[in-house]
Amino acid sequence: MKRLILATILSVAVAAPAMAGGDWVAPVKDPLTLKECGSCHMAFQPAFLSADAWRKMMSNLANHFGDNAEMAPDKVSAITQYLTANAGGYRRGVSDSKITDTAWFARKHRKVAPEVWTRKDVMSRSNCPACHKQAEQGLYDDD
Amino acid sequence: MSAAPYKPSRWEFQGVRLWHAALLGGFVIAWVTGDEDTYAMHLFAGWWVAAVVTLRLVAALLAPAGSPLALKRPNRNQMLTVSILSTLALTVLAAFSGIAADVAPFLEDPHEALAVMSLWAIGLHVLVAVIVFKGRQWLRRVSAALVVVALGAVPALAADPARDAIVAAYAAQAKQQDAGFSGFSAARGEALYRLRHTVNPEIASCSTCHTDDPTKPGRHAKTGRVIEPVAVSANPKRFVEADKVEERFMRDCKSIFGRVCTATEKGDYLTFLINR
Repeated sequence: MKRLILATILSVAVAAPAMAGGDWVAPVKDPLTLKECGSCHMAFQPAFLSADAWRKMMSNLANHFGDNAEMAPDKVSAITQYLTANAGGYRRGVSDSKITDTAWFARKHRKVAPEVWTRKDVMSRSNCPACHKQAEQGLYDDD
Repeated sequence: MSAAPYKPSRWEFQGVRLWHAALLGGFVIAWVTGDEDTYAMHLFAGWWVAAVVTLRLVAALLAPAGSPLALKRPNRNQMLTVSILSTLALTVLAAFSGIAADVAPFLEDPHEALAVMSLWAIGLHVLVAVIVFKGRQWLRRVSAALVVVALGAVPALAADPARDAIVAAYAAQAKQQDAGFSGFSAARGEALYRLRHTVNPEIASCSTCHTDDPTKPGRHAKTGRVIEPVAVSANPKRFVEADKVEERFMRDCKSIFGRVCTATEKGDYLTFLINR
């Protein structure tokens, strides 16, 4: 029993800062979302945009930030369903559909020097795993 | 004494089989638990092997001459004798060097070397036993099966039936679209791969992201995402899911060329990358 209590205290002590720090988001678990979204860029966690923003984006995949990202209609609706059901709330609540344009993103990255974004291994603001090695697992606490 | 030759009982033969099973089992467990994470189990398996061999030697000393448990057997094939001795010696050395390495860590490297050698010796021992015990026919059958498997596996890596079906479906479409269609061309596919368009200045060509050498991994020109090689020789997982292939053609043709691709273009492209 003593061990159990100790283990509980320890795991809370380890997990709490990560949760409270806000640098952890629930990772993408839906295999279709991982596969479809993850083929051209990291499959971003649904909590990064509001449900409205996801709906707007998923209804215009023919022009997905300048590229074509169309897919079969049944896939579109399944992924939209997953994204909106797990979408972010008020904290990142923005109706804009670009994660990297949100005020929250700018605030989080205010200390990043401009030349970092254009580095060859970074290339884009949407390339989270270039710096956050565990971004795909939802861990961004490595700055 | 020498009047009637010793007639071994069924149990002695079973004992020999059981001993083989116990020894091999211990060896396999020790082999797969060699990692630090499973050290307790590894140590146990090592002691097990040592104990099993010791018991076997005790049984051999107690067994009457002519028993299958005795060390010497009449008319034993020489090749088999060598194989038995080397396998046993190496296994025993591997086990005891491991036990010794538990207290003297500098013995770890020799222990690993002995373990690897034992594995080879065991494999050879199986082969020799199969050959010696009238197993030539069996061996021939097994090797024939292995050859068939190997012959099947090599082209299977390059020629996947699913991939063939995808190309065949595009060929059927191409015939419908163009009465003069006369097969796909890897050369046309390569030209398509390298052709630069002006529709999308950021992604002007297939090679923009997939690089000039399709056997190399690429990088998405806009997102920086690493893309695995598109050439089948470098990435056998390519072009085996029809709807994925079609989806990519739809997206990338529209993104780069500003239009959908024809069935002939798709087939040419696939032919180029399958044979690359």
